[in-house]
Amino acid sequence: MKELLVERLSKIYFDPDRGERIAALEEVSLRIAPGEFVAVVGPSGCGKSTLLNLIAGFLEPTSGRILLDGRPVRGPGPDRGVVFQSYALFPWKTVLENVAFGPRMRGLPKAECHAKAMRYLELVGLAHVAHRYPRELSGGMQQRVGVVRALANEPEILLMDEPFAAVDAQTRMTLQEELARIYEERRPTILFVTHDVNEAVFLADRVLLLSKGRLREEIPVPIARPRRWPRLVEDDDFKALVARTLSAVRAA
Amino acid sequence: MERLAARWLWFVEHWPRAAVFAPFVPLLLSWWAVAEIEIFPPAFFPHPLEVLRRGVELAYKGVLGAYLEDSVLRLAVGAAAGIAVGLPLGLLVGLSDRAHRTLWPLLLFFQAIGDIAWLPILLVWFGFGLTTMTFVIVYTVMFPVLMNTALGVRAVPEVLPRAALSLGASRARVILEVVVPGALPNIVTGIRNGLGFGWRALVAAEIIVGTSGIGFMMFDARRAGSVTEVVIGLVVLGVLWSIVDSWILAPLERATGERWGLVAR
Repeated sequence: MKELLVERLSKIYFDPDRGERIAALEEVSLRIAPGEFVAVVGPSGCGKSTLLNLIAGFLEPTSGRILLDGRPVRGPGPDRGVVFQSYALFPWKTVLENVAFGPRMRGLPKAECHAKAMRYLELVGLAHVAHRYPRELSGGMQQRVGVVRALANEPEILLMDEPFAAVDAQTRMTLQEELARIYEERRPTILFVTHDVNEAVFLADRVLLLSKGRLREEIPVPIARPRRWPRLVEDDDFKALVARTLSAVRAA
Repeated sequence: MERLAARWLWFVEHWPRAAVFAPFVPLLLSWWAVAEIEIFPPAFFPHPLEVLRRGVELAYKGVLGAYLEDSVLRLAVGAAAGIAVGLPLGLLVGLSDRAHRTLWPLLLFFQAIGDIAWLPILLVWFGFGLTTMTFVIVYTVMFPVLMNTALGVRAVPEVLPRAALSLGASRARVILEVVVPGALPNIVTGIRNGLGFGWRALVAAEIIVGTSGIGFMMFDARRAGSVTEVVIGLVVLGVLWSIVDSWILAPLERATGERWGLVAR
């Protein structure tokens, strides 16, 4: 796992209808240390998805640069694993083939890819649906597959774009706990984008507040791990941090 | 009558594909009735039994089989060529914005010119022969395949190629593993439509250009004044296409659509 460095990153769009330039992201700088879990929160339209898409290489920045382990990022690549809000599983591939896709694209022998995919599916208790198709699974299960598909490719950083926004509240809490557990066991580097302040504080070591394309505030989360919901809902530090972050979001 | 209905139900249950023929029963009965009371002279309006008798006779002589083989072979060769041209072009137009901008207006223009409309000039260029017929079929099959492929490529959700690229796939692998499978339901629809149009265009071409084939048989029969054989041709065309479409193409289209989660079951 390597360090991610974002330096004065801007993304400016030209809106032909209004005839003016719109800054989706303005002079954003940040650093994510190896093994760190950073969440970015902010209201919709604040530029948090733009930031993630720039780091993923799906968009070209207008100015500024992104360095992963000192190397500038150009276009999408397997060093940055992405988990999408809409899961983005390949519907014509089985769960196993979806998870084995990354290793296969990187040239590993088929048997090895499948064995590896199976190990990762076991990690989230989904080995029993390995040969099903994504559409046969619930939303929560599909996103578990989405997460392990990214993990199985062993990226240097995991980029998660509101991954749990599309599932029901109950499942969301389970998925958050599962991600917390995986993080505690393996310590991947994670950049997690969300509009849910509870989620951000629950998961991250550090919460960054983005508003109108600018980074407004940085809130450290010094809450001990392992983090589980039954304990944290009672925890005064957690409640105070959520309240503080929430008021910062609303003020921004 | 009741026993007949029960039989039919048993039949359909054991061989569900036969259900395709059910709607034809009343049609056949009315044809029979009209022919039986001889509103029109039999030379104009043949009896279904006469059509059946003559059809069996032609099949027995090998004429029907040979003509059918000619027609189907022409369609198969033309369709294969049409797909071979239409599919890659469709991928190109679907994938590249520049190709889309430059080619789309041309495609719309040429698509609007019906296959048959080319016949006059094709006859001048290539004469009455196989080249002319093949051109018409390739042309007819190509456009639905091309247009639907391009449409399908553009309908693939943006996140899927993105996910593949982020998992380390090269551009070529993205096309092979994501774009083509993603567009497959549309591609199958294009092939289904293309073959349907191609089949009709073929018969038209055979009527005008032909030296053999079902279309030729029908037109030749008209010259000889045998309405029976014309009707045989009509029946063969309809039956053959119904079978190909409802037993092969439609299930294929449904299967891809379902698998891909595009069609709710």
